[in-house]
Amino acid sequence: MIPFRVSYWHIQPVWIFYLLAIATLTVLGLGIAIHVSVWRKGIKRQSVSFSLKDIFKVIKEGILGTRIFKGDVAAGTMHGLIIWGFLILFVGTLALSADYWMFPFLHGSFYLLYSFCLELAGLMLITGLIWALIRRYVQRVPRLERRFEDLLVPVWLLAVAISGYLAEGSRLGAQSPEWAGWSFVGYGLSHLWSGQKEAMSAYPWFWWLHALLSMGFIAYIPFSKLFHILAAPVSIYLENQPLQIIPVESREEEVFSYREAIFFDACTRCGRCVEVCPSAGAGEPFTPRDFIAWAKQGLLTDYHLLNSVDRFKNWMEQRGTENGQFDASKIWHCTTCRACLEVCPVYVATPDAIRSARSKVVEQGTEMPDLLARSLKNVYKYHNPWEATKKKRAKWASDLDIPNLTKEADGNRLCYFVGCTTSMELRAQALAQSFVKILNHAEVPFGTLGKKEPCCGDIARRAGEDGLFEMKMEDCSDLFQSCGIQDVVTSSPHCFHTFRNEYPPYMTLREPDEQVSFRVRHYTEVLAELLGKGSLKFENSLGLKVTYHDPCYLGRYNRIFDAPREVIRAIPGVKLLEMTHHRENSLCCGGGGDRMWQEEMDGDPKMSEIRMQEAAATGADVVITACPLCLIMLEDALKTSGLENKLRIMDLNELVAMALELK
Amino acid sequence: MNIVVCVKQVPEVSDADLEINRKGSDIDREDLEFEINEWDNYAVEEAVRLKEAHGGHVTVITLGDEDCEDVLRQSLAMGADEAILIDEDGFEMSDAAGIAKGLHGVVKDLSFDILLTGVQSSDNSWGQVGLILAELLGLPYASLVVGIEMGDGKATVFRELESDTQEKVELPLPAAMTVQTGINTPRYVSILGIKKVRKIKIKETDADELNLSEDEIGAEGSCVTSRKLVIPSIGGAAEMLTGSLDDICNKAAQIIQDKGGLV
Repeated sequence: MIPFRVSYWHIQPVWIFYLLAIATLTVLGLGIAIHVSVWRKGIKRQSVSFSLKDIFKVIKEGILGTRIFKGDVAAGTMHGLIIWGFLILFVGTLALSADYWMFPFLHGSFYLLYSFCLELAGLMLITGLIWALIRRYVQRVPRLERRFEDLLVPVWLLAVAISGYLAEGSRLGAQSPEWAGWSFVGYGLSHLWSGQKEAMSAYPWFWWLHALLSMGFIAYIPFSKLFHILAAPVSIYLENQPLQIIPVESREEEVFSYREAIFFDACTRCGRCVEVCPSAGAGEPFTPRDFIAWAKQGLLTDYHLLNSVDRFKNWMEQRGTENGQFDASKIWHCTTCRACLEVCPVYVATPDAIRSARSKVVEQGTEMPDLLARSLKNVYKYHNPWEATKKKRAKWASDLDIPNLTKEADGNRLCYFVGCTTSMELRAQALAQSFVKILNHAEVPFGTLGKKEPCCGDIARRAGEDGLFEMKMEDCSDLFQSCGIQDVVTSSPHCFHTFRNEYPPYMTLREPDEQVSFRVRHYTEVLAELLGKGSLKFENSLGLKVTYHDPCYLGRYNRIFDAPREVIRAIPGVKLLEMTHHRENSLCCGGGGDRMWQEEMDGDPKMSEIRMQEAAATGADVVITACPLCLIMLEDALKTSGLENKLRIMDLNELVAMALELK
Repeated sequence: MNIVVCVKQVPEVSDADLEINRKGSDIDREDLEFEINEWDNYAVEEAVRLKEAHGGHVTVITLGDEDCEDVLRQSLAMGADEAILIDEDGFEMSDAAGIAKGLHGVVKDLSFDILLTGVQSSDNSWGQVGLILAELLGLPYASLVVGIEMGDGKATVFRELESDTQEKVELPLPAAMTVQTGINTPRYVSILGIKKVRKIKIKETDADELNLSEDEIGAEGSCVTSRKLVIPSIGGAAEMLTGSLDDICNKAAQIIQDKGGLV
C-alpha cells in the first residue's frame, strides 16, 4: 500500500474548523491592520526602494539568524531551533492544505520523507522552547525580562507542539499503518494507548485541542512580541534605506517616523541593548529597551484604530501609566553612542528615535533641561555653546601664525575646522595646538576660519532642535562656499560626522547654486595619510604603554578604527594595549548626545569613571583618544576616580607632537 | 482672562567686556548681543501659563527700535497672541516715568484683567516702570510677585520678602504686578517656534499717535536726568592675580589659607 494520510480523518463536523479558521484570520488581519495603521501615522511616508541586496540581508540575518548568533551563540542556536522548527511545520501545514485542496502529492516515499522532516521540526521546536524557558527562568540570563507575555508565548507554543504530537500519536495508534515508524515521535507516543479502540477515542480530542491552540496562537501574534515575526524582517530590510530629510517647517505633528514605528514593533525586548548601554551600565534610569517600550506604548495610545472608543482609549492610557517606569524626562540620558544599534538583532535605531522624541520636547519648550536650553540659546546667539564671544574663538591660536581662510580665500589649502569646544575649552585647546604644529612640521598648506568659524550644528541636531541645526548648517555652508573651501579636517568626530553624514541629505533641499559639497576628514585620517606619505618620521623611542579609547562618532558611527591605531603603532617604543571594550564595542565617555551641555545626571560611578577603570586595568601609562569631548570627560574622571598618579590622558595629536619633539 | 505684558530688550552682558561710550551717556552697544530682559521673560511665561490654565488673550508691548521685534517674536512664539511695538523716537533720554507714559498710551485702551511687567530691567535697573504704569492707570499693584492664583474677580498674589518669607496679598481685578525671577521656568523657544509666528503682524505705533508731546517724554519731560555712566575705580581690597594658571591657583590658595579659609 502506498503511504499517505487522510485529511480530517474522522473529524466531524469539518465546517466548524473552517469557521474557526476564518475567525482566526480575521483577528490576525485586524491585529496587523492596527500595527500598519500606526506605522502609516508616522511622519511623511517616504517611498521605499526595492533592493535585492537587502532582501538577501533579511534572509541571512533574520531567517538564517546570523545577526542573532553574533555575540550570543546560545541565544542564536535557541532561536534557530524555534524559528526553523516553526517554519518547517508552517510550510508542512501549507503543503498539507495544497495536497488536500489543489493537487495531491503527499504520498509514497515523498510522504514518508515529509513525515520524517516534520517530526524532526517538532523536536527542534520543542527543544528550542524548553531551552528558551530554561534561559529565562532557570539560568535567569540577566538581560531577559520576565513578564507574563514572556512565559505565555513559549508555553503556548510548547502546548501547540505537544498536542500536535499527541494527535499524531493517537491517530497512528488508531490506524497502525505499516509506515508509522517514519513518524518516530508520534509512533513512540502511539503506545500510550493500549489498543486501537482507545487510541481512536482519544484522537479527535487531541486533534481539536491542537487545532484550537494553533489557531489561538496565530490570532495572538499581532497582540504580543510575536509580532516581530512580521515586523523584524521589515525592520532589517529598512536598515539601509536612506533616511528622508524633512525640513523643520514641513514637519507634521507626529513625533516618530514610520520606520521608527516599525522598529518599535520589531523589538522583542531581548535586552542586548541593555547590556551594552553605557548609561544603563552606570546605573542611570535609562535603557534603550525601556525607551522603546515607552515610545511604542505612546504611539499605540495616540493612534490605535479603536481610539474613537473612549473607554478603550482610557484603558490604553491607564495601561501606559501603569507600565510607566519610563517618562519623557529620561530621554536626555541617552549619549547617542550607538552601542545599542551595534548589537540589536533587528536594527532598532534608538539614537534616531531619541532625537525624534527630543524634538517634540524642544518644540513644546516647557520640559527642556535648563542647561541644555541655555546652551542652545548660546549656539543661536554666540555660535557656540560655551557662551564665548567671537574674539575668544581664535584666542587659542594667538601665538600661532595661522592663515585665515576667510580673509585670503584659497581653495587649495586644507581648512582646519577647529570646532567650538576645541577652540574654547582650555584642556581641548592643546589638541588644536598640537595638530597645528604637526601640520606645520609636515608642511601641509592649511588655514582656519579664525573668529568667523561657525558652529557645525551638531549640538542642535543631537538635541532635536532641527530648526537651529538647519540655521547653523546654512551658516557653515554659506561660509564654506564664499571662502571656496573644498577640503576640511576637523578636531572633533562630532563635527566630522555632522559634515559627512548630516549635511549631504539636506543639500538636495537647497537651491542648486547654494548646494555645497566638500571633502571632510577627521584629523586621525589626515595623520594616517601623512604617516603613509612619510611626512611623519619618528626618531626617538618613547617607551610608553598606551591604550586607545575609540570615540563613538569616529568609530561606531564612521567605522574609523584603524587610522588612529596605525599612527600609534608607528611610534617607536609605544606599545598599544587594548581595553576590554574597544573598536565597535567601545564604551562611551558620557559626553555625547549633548550630555556635555546638560545638568549632571550621572550614576555612581560615572560612565567616564567606568571607562577610566577599564583603561587602568590594561596596565597602560597613557590613555589616547581622538575627540575633544572624550578628552575633557576622561580627564575629569581621572581626577574623580583617583587615578591621577597612575594614568595620563592625551589626545592623539599630543602624543604625535611629543614623539616628533615639536615645541 | 486677558493679560498685558510689557517687555524690554536689553543687551546681554554676562560674558561681555563692557565699555562706556565717549560721552559717558551709555555703554558701547556695538558687538553686543541683545535679548529679552530676564524679568520680563518670566512675566511672559507667567502670562502664557495663566492663559493656558484659564483661557484668554495675551498681548505683549515693548518700546524700542525696530530690532526689538525679536523680543516680541520670541514672546509670540512662547504663546502670546498679539504684539505691539511703540517706536522709541522721541523717548530717548526718558526717565522711567517717560517710558511708563508711552506704555500707558497703549495700555489704557486695552481691555485686560492683569498687567504684568518684570520687577526691573537688567540694564537700567530703575525698577519703577511697572509701579508708575499702575499709578497712571489707577490700578492696585503688587511688586516682587512669585506666585499668582486666580480667584473670582480677584487674584491672590505671593510676594517675595526677606529670608525665604513670602507675603500673600489679595488684589481686585484688574490689577498690575511686577514679576520676580523664579516665579516659573520660562519655556525654551525653538527656531521653528519663531518661524511659525513670522506671519503674525506686529502693530506699530509712536509718540505722535499716542498724543504724547515733547514736554511729557524724552529728556524734557523727565524729572530724573542721567548725567553720566562710570566704571567704579578699583578699590584697595581687590587684588588682581597675574601669571600662569598654576601660579594664579597657588596664589589664590595661599590667600584663602592666610585668611583662614583652608584648614
